[in-house]
Amino acid sequence: MALALNKRYLQYFYEPVAESFEDGFWQAIKQKRLVFQRCKNCKEFLHPPRPMCYKCHSYDLEWVESTGKGKIYSWVVFTREVHPLYRVPFEVVLVDMEEKGVRFISNMAEGKPEDLHFGMPVEVVFMPINDEWSLPWFRPVK
Amino acid sequence: MTIKNKACIVGIGSTEFSRVSGRSEIHMAVDAAMAACHDAGLKPEQIDGAVKFGTAGQNCTEFTTETDVARCLGIRNLRYFVEAPWGGGACCATVLHAALAVANGMADYVLCFRSLKPASGTVRYGRPTRVPIDAHWSYTMPFGFASPTSWVAMITRRWMHETGATNDQLGWVAIVCRENAVRNPRAIFYGRPMTMEDYYRSPMLCDPFRMNDTCLENDGAVALIVTTPERAKHLRQKPAYIIGASEATAWDSYCMTSYYRDYIGIQEMEEAGKELWKQTGLTPKNMDVVQFYDAFTSLVPMQMEALGFVKVGEGGPFCEGGDRIRPTGELPINTSGGMLSEAYIHGMNMIAEGVRQIRGTAITQIKNVEHVLVTGGLGVPTSTLILGQGR
Repeated sequence: MALALNKRYLQYFYEPVAESFEDGFWQAIKQKRLVFQRCKNCKEFLHPPRPMCYKCHSYDLEWVESTGKGKIYSWVVFTREVHPLYRVPFEVVLVDMEEKGVRFISNMAEGKPEDLHFGMPVEVVFMPINDEWSLPWFRPVK
Repeated sequence: MTIKNKACIVGIGSTEFSRVSGRSEIHMAVDAAMAACHDAGLKPEQIDGAVKFGTAGQNCTEFTTETDVARCLGIRNLRYFVEAPWGGGACCATVLHAALAVANGMADYVLCFRSLKPASGTVRYGRPTRVPIDAHWSYTMPFGFASPTSWVAMITRRWMHETGATNDQLGWVAIVCRENAVRNPRAIFYGRPMTMEDYYRSPMLCDPFRMNDTCLENDGAVALIVTTPERAKHLRQKPAYIIGASEATAWDSYCMTSYYRDYIGIQEMEEAGKELWKQTGLTPKNMDVVQFYDAFTSLVPMQMEALGFVKVGEGGPFCEGGDRIRPTGELPINTSGGMLSEAYIHGMNMIAEGVRQIRGTAITQIKNVEHVLVTGGLGVPTSTLILGQGR
């Protein structure tokens, strides 16, 4: 099943907006790369990004390429439409990424809602939305 | 030093709760404020302070300002006004701020109010009719993850997995709230009972939530008036004393999607509870009746666990069969029907019901009520309130 967009309603796509300190994340997404913010000093991952490391208060932060792999922590299945761009049924998954402490909200590009389970291994796959944006969705690891 | 017995709620007022109010939010706020003044035995111009709901992103703003209300009520000048933010998380905080103001002489009579019309207005709370501007929504909205039902469904599935809670147990929460609403002529679901079959027949909105797991979407307003015990002596109603109140954020709080911490529960309520019990010296055993913020069924057993009424993993079983949370049970909850079945006024109707339980005038009145706990919205920074007899 996975998520199928009803492209007639593409004009209603919510374009990501970014605070200054998040720009690196969304710029990478535009290049079909999934990166996470990490503190250069104490190596703590910070997602969503922040202006400063909350742990050691360093401003020395970097963008680190994700392995793109993770496990399903929780999920929901939309069965009633709330936004016309997103055809129901579709899944929203919350993925525990391999990068320690990073959790990511996304959609499934392949598979069926009933196959989802806790701890299920998934990997990122970029799906084109419009001319400007592709988003990191997930699929089961084969 | 605490706020205990230094302030009390002396007036409650509301509009009718409906699917189509036929009037604006300002109009409803004024109606509720006037009703609260009449209830208290106050002239509207005696009001000199106001607490309104602030924002939780543009979706949840109180569009009626304190100046709108003051202008319409003929109040010359408010000398104290403040906003409590975070949507439903604000409800008990409005009373907290009002209590601080009157106890410290910043105002004599403070009006707390909430007016909303998601049923017939332009902003549907259950739907993404407005594009939120806060950047953190960029991590949810582009994925179609765009309704409060889905945001709470996400934490509910994980909580059910961790604790073994079942859909039946959530169904019992909905059924008991409905039983209370069936007796309450103010309730949207007055006279319309629900069985477990009805619960399961209601359409799945966002798995694991069915329609009957979710609160109402309605028009209405509720207003409360807070003053000091000394002033209350000259007013019409038996005062509901503020015994304690708390506000709390928690580690890594976001608006509705606090998904990045170890466990995606309702830690804001755990923190608010710790503060409340410490502040008052009371425990869950001292609460005779509780108005749990019930925007969604699962939030009731989750709060029982977060606030220490039961151990983690026992909240679901506690609700099984409904007997322990019915008016005759050991922990009566949501006696007016709650937001699942009376009306959704961001928790303000639950505080009004708490006041009625202290006065002894509730339709589903619990016997010998000494303390009522009221809780604020979940998934957001939140607040709590204990009302008491003030002896």
